[in-house]
Amino acid sequence: MSDSFTGGCQCGAVRYRIDGNLRHASICNCRMCQKAMGNLFGAWAEFDAPVIWTRGRPAQFRSSLKVQRGFCSTCGTPLTYQWGDNLPAITIGSFDRPNQIVPTGELARDNRHPVVGHADDLDEESIGSTDEERDILAILKSYQHPDQDTASWTPGVGQ
Amino acid sequence: MTERRMPEGPFSGGCQCGAVRFRALALRDNPHVCYCRMCQKATGNLFTALVGVYHENLTWTRGRPAEFMSSDLAARGFCANCGTSLYYRSNGGPHVSMSIGAFDEPHRIPLWYQLGMEGKHPSLMHLADIEEAGTTESAMAEDAATIRVSNHQHPDHDTATWMPALGALP
Repeated sequence: MSDSFTGGCQCGAVRYRIDGNLRHASICNCRMCQKAMGNLFGAWAEFDAPVIWTRGRPAQFRSSLKVQRGFCSTCGTPLTYQWGDNLPAITIGSFDRPNQIVPTGELARDNRHPVVGHADDLDEESIGSTDEERDILAILKSYQHPDQDTASWTPGVGQ
Repeated sequence: MTERRMPEGPFSGGCQCGAVRFRALALRDNPHVCYCRMCQKATGNLFTALVGVYHENLTWTRGRPAEFMSSDLAARGFCANCGTSLYYRSNGGPHVSMSIGAFDEPHRIPLWYQLGMEGKHPSLMHLADIEEAGTTESAMAEDAATIRVSNHQHPDHDTATWMPALGALP
């Protein structure tokens, strides 16, 4: 029996489902992943089944001859990395339950940002630790899509 | 505790395709990663890595980012052509929190603290233990060669002229 994984972009214009098994999950420190994500690394999940786009479609940027990177054209969330006609890898952070997907491999360690490897040594600071921050959080109206599928949804407005 | 100093500017950077480029004269002393679920979902990643740049120190030298208002309080900037996450911006705040990976020399920028601990992904607790799958060149030598000769990523420095490879809908 295979699992079912759902996810999507921040604004909810693009949603997906995968009915299959996680094949591999990894982080990649290469400069193409760094620059594409604007981050220290890309975090990717590969499956043995195709992605079913349940709402909208990602836009694509061809980052090289063989590779297309998909993202939401409304909010920018990076969603996919696809080599040729292979099944696309999906960004771990875009899954509704990203903690279910734990990377077991690391690519391009030679290009690690210096902080990767000692992230636990950073000072820990909490959000909402002051009265002012708690007041702000209490009234914050988020336009982020919830971490589950919705029957209808208008990006930037909500249900 | 050892003294912490931010590297001196200026810094340049931009998105993957090169349609959007920026210049930061100086960085604020707040480089951090944020694990909160909004940062994760916005960037499709385990965290954002951000550093503040005062508005008066930030210049968009090519193109302009698109923005998504992720709440009434904050906007997130990205390249509409290639999707690179470029910043988090709090409404009315004194600075823009720029994506460290979008800088041309991200390795020069340190990280000092971590936020949004409630969302910290389990794998980050044992990052040093996960299997090393080699350098890009060694793990995928043929693929790396193909990428090298057909690379559409903007180089990690400013260019006088640049035509981004176009994004396309599938």
